[in-house]
Amino acid sequence: MSAFPIHAAFERDFLVQLIVVDLNDSMDQVAEKVAYHCVNRRVAPRKGVMRVRKHQSSELFPRGMTVAESGLKPTEVIDVVFED
Amino acid sequence: MAMHPRKDWYELTRSTNWTPSYVTEEQLFPEQMSGHMGITLDKWESYDEPYKTSYPEYVSIQREKDAGAYSVKAALERAQIYENADPGWISTLKAHYGAIAVGEYAAVTGEGRMARFSKAPGNRNMAAFGMMDELRHGQIQLFFPHEYCKKDRQFDWAWRAYQSNEWAAIAAKHFFDDIITGRDAISVAIMLTFSFETGFTNMQFLGLAADAADAGDYTFSSLISSIQTDESRHAQQGGPALQVLIANGKKEEAQKKVDIAIWRAWRLFAVLTGPTMDYYTPLEHRQQSFKEFMYEWIIGQFERALIDLGLDKPWYWDLFLKDIDELHHSYHMGVWYWRTTAWWNPAAGVTPEERDWLEEKYPGWNKRWGRCWDVITENVIEGRMELVSPETLPTICNMSQIPLVGIPGDDWEVKVFSLEHNGRLYHFGSEVDRWIFQQDPVQYQNHLNVVDRFLAGQIQPMTLEGALQYMGFQCVEEMGKDAHDFAWAEKCKPEMKKSA
Ligand SMILES: [Fe+2]
Ligand SMILES: [Fe+2]
Repeated sequence: MSAFPIHAAFERDFLVQLIVVDLNDSMDQVAEKVAYHCVNRRVAPRKGVMRVRKHQSSELFPRGMTVAESGLKPTEVIDVVFED
Repeated sequence: MAMHPRKDWYELTRSTNWTPSYVTEEQLFPEQMSGHMGITLDKWESYDEPYKTSYPEYVSIQREKDAGAYSVKAALERAQIYENADPGWISTLKAHYGAIAVGEYAAVTGEGRMARFSKAPGNRNMAAFGMMDELRHGQIQLFFPHEYCKKDRQFDWAWRAYQSNEWAAIAAKHFFDDIITGRDAISVAIMLTFSFETGFTNMQFLGLAADAADAGDYTFSSLISSIQTDESRHAQQGGPALQVLIANGKKEEAQKKVDIAIWRAWRLFAVLTGPTMDYYTPLEHRQQSFKEFMYEWIIGQFERALIDLGLDKPWYWDLFLKDIDELHHSYHMGVWYWRTTAWWNPAAGVTPEERDWLEEKYPGWNKRWGRCWDVITENVIEGRMELVSPETLPTICNMSQIPLVGIPGDDWEVKVFSLEHNGRLYHFGSEVDRWIFQQDPVQYQNHLNVVDRFLAGQIQPMTLEGALQYMGFQCVEEMGKDAHDFAWAEKCKPEMKKSA
């Protein structure tokens, strides 16, 4: 366990939030942790796979890649977007 | 003894300058405090303040103003505004007093700095009066809310907010420190009086006065109109300072200060005044939308004033116009969702009638912010209250100190502007906020926003409760809650069924 703070924007939500993830979390787990603070709160649930990318990047991180493997720095900004 | 008319002696006395012989001009007016940009005393003597007054005239006019405001207050004490006004209006009062009252003392410092360190005699003279103006504003805006303290502890934040670590108070302080207390005399003339007071205080004090009168709160209306008469006088100190700078080849430096101050003022206004005008003020008492006020008081006014002086519109004018359509809707949603961290009770302002009004004033509102409010409203109706409060912190801009937001819903667009500087990663809510940082990193680089402080372990325990305590809330009654205790959601029920 190693807590790792990131800032995350979630598709269709209005802001960026501080989300504490774990270095060993996969990108799917990261997406879940971000979604917890957005979906059903201000964003309606929808179908589709949630994917993580560096903020504004066109490339998605592989779903199984861990935070440690991703090269993300603490407090960097990520987006969680839907892949329909 | 007969008094000589002011016009016979004013020019002569105010231009009677000391000729320093024991110290150098630079020792008398050090650049760091004065901001003269190397322009010599004789050149600053051409500064011509458009408004001239003498001490006896000033005292008698100010006495009348105070007597007027205090007598309206005394006469209307029985009107029981607190008991009778809409809770949204009461929230507007609380937000205003907490954000402004003690901040007036920062303005006292700024005026004092000009009164001592400006090389322009007319500026020093005007600023001496300006200093007394700002003292009056501080005192009167602490006295008026005081009667409400016994009814509602949130009014105590008129006094406490500015000295607390509450996020909106930090945003206000960071801004006022940047344009007032952390700047030299000429910068204060440009950034406080020209950039902030000419347009923005006009809008806060006259725009809100109109809404107040409409809401039946004549006490508040007469109070802030009275303050604005001082503002419109001492706001005139910046223009002639800009003229001296431009005439002496310092246009670029002057323009930059104007650009920084207008943008920073805008962002703070969008979070404090935007929600009060478009969401808290009851629909039937809204004189104009926030956007309409902005166009009338800020856009029109600045475009004229800048061009008249020979300055340019700030480089970010197009971004500014886009922001006016969007920013405060997201700020409002953030303040409402994180409402326990405010010293006032945010009104949601999203009944079907209010949403129609928002859609009319801001076409596309429903498919943007409306999408989020749909989810929130349904949660309230279904009693899922755990979902209408936050469990984490919003990310905060390292310049404005306000959460990083964008457009939600169908047109989703959230963009962060980051910068790595001396090994630290900073995040900004706009390109302009980042640009401001880059103009003078030393001015800003050591400041920690609330999230930075949280991550640095300065807020203990590291929970929402710990954060609320850190922000200065002494009990649950002081923390913001929904202004109407969610009664608005009832009115949304039929609409919700229709769309379901
Ligand atoms: Fe003032
Ligand atoms: Fe002022």
